[in-house]
Amino acid sequence: MRVESSPAVPRRTLWGNLLVFLAVVGPGIITANVDNDAGGITTYSLAGAQYGNKLLWTLVPITVALVVVQEMSARMGVITGKGLADLIRENFGVKVTFWVMVALLVADVGNTVAEFSGAAASLSIFGVPAWVSVPLTALAVWLLVLKGTYRQVEKIFLVACLFYIAYPISTFLARPEWSTVTRATFTPSFEASSGYVAMLIGVVGTTIAPWMQFYLQSAVVEKGIKPEHYAHSRLDVVVGCIITDVVAFFIIVACAATIFKAGIAVETADQAALALGPLAGRYASWLFAFGLFNASFFAATILPLATAYYVCEAFGWESGINKRWGEAKQFYWLYTLIVVLGAAVVLAPHLPLLKIMLVSQIVNGILLPFILIFMLLLVNNEKLMGPHRNGPWFNGIAWLTTFIMIALTAYLVVAGVRDLVAS
Amino acid sequence: MPQSESLRFLFFSDLLGKKVLRADGSLLGRVSDLVAVIGEPYPPVESVVVRLGRKRWQLAWAAVAEVNGAVRLGPEAEPRPAPEAPVADRVRLGEEILDRQIVDIEGAKLVRVNDLHFFESKPQESRSQLRVAHVDISFRGLVRRMGWQPVVDRVVSVVRPASRYLKDESMLPWKLVQPIESSPGRVRVEATKKALASLHPADLAEIMEELDRVHRQVLLERLDVGTAADALEEASPELAAELLEKVEPGKAADILEEMAPDESADVLSELPGERREELLGAMEAPEAREVKELLVYPGNSVGGLMTLDRIQVYPEQTAADAIAEVRRRAEEVPIVHEVFVVDNGGALKGYATLKDLVLSDPYTPVSQFAREPPVTVAVDDRIRDVALAAAKYSLVSVPVVDKLGLLRGIVTVDDILAEVVDAR
Repeated sequence: MRVESSPAVPRRTLWGNLLVFLAVVGPGIITANVDNDAGGITTYSLAGAQYGNKLLWTLVPITVALVVVQEMSARMGVITGKGLADLIRENFGVKVTFWVMVALLVADVGNTVAEFSGAAASLSIFGVPAWVSVPLTALAVWLLVLKGTYRQVEKIFLVACLFYIAYPISTFLARPEWSTVTRATFTPSFEASSGYVAMLIGVVGTTIAPWMQFYLQSAVVEKGIKPEHYAHSRLDVVVGCIITDVVAFFIIVACAATIFKAGIAVETADQAALALGPLAGRYASWLFAFGLFNASFFAATILPLATAYYVCEAFGWESGINKRWGEAKQFYWLYTLIVVLGAAVVLAPHLPLLKIMLVSQIVNGILLPFILIFMLLLVNNEKLMGPHRNGPWFNGIAWLTTFIMIALTAYLVVAGVRDLVAS
Repeated sequence: MPQSESLRFLFFSDLLGKKVLRADGSLLGRVSDLVAVIGEPYPPVESVVVRLGRKRWQLAWAAVAEVNGAVRLGPEAEPRPAPEAPVADRVRLGEEILDRQIVDIEGAKLVRVNDLHFFESKPQESRSQLRVAHVDISFRGLVRRMGWQPVVDRVVSVVRPASRYLKDESMLPWKLVQPIESSPGRVRVEATKKALASLHPADLAEIMEELDRVHRQVLLERLDVGTAADALEEASPELAAELLEKVEPGKAADILEEMAPDESADVLSELPGERREELLGAMEAPEAREVKELLVYPGNSVGGLMTLDRIQVYPEQTAADAIAEVRRRAEEVPIVHEVFVVDNGGALKGYATLKDLVLSDPYTPVSQFAREPPVTVAVDDRIRDVALAAAKYSLVSVPVVDKLGLLRGIVTVDDILAEVVDAR
């Protein structure tokens, strides 16, 4: 029997592998695309516009760190079949869970604020004022999820993410000096100015955010990926992380080759759109607005929904968009609260928007090291992970990543608090 | 006048972290867990786990002299190193129950445990006895664990004395909950089996969907074949296949035999080829043949939805014969509304509803009152077609015929409904 079937084996495994990969693919790539949200596009654009190619080199270590962190999340999801909030509650108790969830809630409301201001900025290019665009966007987001049509629409978002191709094309058309770009990518450089360090931390912080680990792990669990298909899932995660950073790379290079070269100080979305000029000419701002709106809207649906999920998971409240409002009250109220709060903050006339986003970045920063340490403790727990614990090498890299992230975020927090006090 | 016995309630959160003092007043450590004996409706606490730094001691609860500000031990207390592995028919309440998800048997859903409620009885001149009374799943339980209950209670009672929070005593009696752990013990396994069998299969299936991979497997292993089959019929075929893949082949085959053939074919079609062949081989011949016949049809066609189980009679049989046939096969055919009339070659001639059979003279041949089937479908028709047919002609089961007009099976409205709801 075995001998008979052997000639067919290579073809079948190739096909079989491809089919399994296509079935398993998704969580990693979706997380990656949500990662390039309004905050991401803004930060990368500013990094390229203000510092040219000087920050490119950070993308290489960031990618490594991102892959290390996200791979652990996906692995824990596949092996334990539980979400990260669930594991933290079961292994570290109520008190720890409570504070983690409070911090996550604050950070994610902040991130949602960023998404809504992204939506407002992009629609302002078409002349829609914020008091029209923000409530409408919030209502659309809220209804989309509540009416349960979210799953179908997710595919449209993903297709719309092809917008990011505009950046590489624009970059090539702008004819940057590729030798300079290559050198800047692979040779670390440093500038001791506080602006540069803040931007560096901003790039790191927007690329590796705490919600991503929770989101990816839950998505992997929900997809029901089996341990024997983990290799495919890992590929999905690695590809996703690389996509995130390739997009970041081209946004920075495109902005460096256009805005930085022209010496323009970016203050509005219109100016950030100049990076797409070589591709789209005078339609650049429309193209940019479309991309920014898609990214903002996509993230504005996913972030509040995901946050409501983790909080309910941690405290044992019923959750899920297939439940009725009465069955999952806490879930729906939390979700509604995050959306409403996010939109309200953007609209409030005298609220210092930048300061609020700074606070949320600081909370993100405070939270991340804790999450990373919890993850490392969990992923090395023999009862949970069995033979799928980290190997010594991987553990070394993971702890090193964690320490670097702690150092960076400690700086971010100190600097952020100092700025808050100073202003 | 001394009372003969004192009774009181305690929360686990009151005991956890409490100092444990030896008879001479020196510190042994802090309470880190309690171990109870499974089997009784209110399991007695057998021992207490005490932690000091990295050391973990275990000692009999009977050696506890007094519980007030601290746990004071009697002079006979003999701490032994706590065992690492789980012990048969014992439950470590902190490790296995607190903060975990367990099944609420009455509410038929998964809940997360915020606290445990104990009942302490202390006969005069004797040691305290501690029994698990309730699990606390309330919001107040969470607040208590945070250590904020006194403050929060006072604030709420001032701000809103009628608040639901203050009356929120979401306590489930221990006997109405079921932990799902793979810990050993015969009594434990039996207790779980009994508790889970009382749940509706559809609720069981939903609980399985919600549980993580490890625990849903444990849950399935704890079900007897009949209950498992009922629950898997209600679960999605993907989930059922995932679960059965890890069950020992003999039992998996038994479960598949118990399931309705159309459901069992759906599950088998989700399994990898080798495993499918193995299970089909392990199934009894008649069931396996039936399932194999259904397996050839794609899942999204009428053939994939069809079941072979139906009641059929010949034209010359009487109404009484037909009713007898319904009685005889009541076990295998869950939904009976129409009885089908076929000739000797198996060609579909008509059908009669149960109402027709009951209202007719018992000795009339069915051919006299059988109706013409208003619609038939073919195995390769789309599910949409059969749904429309069932809706238009108000049929509970739609007959499936082949090109020669032979009755091959039926599609019942419950399966159609499930498909239509899923497709939404």
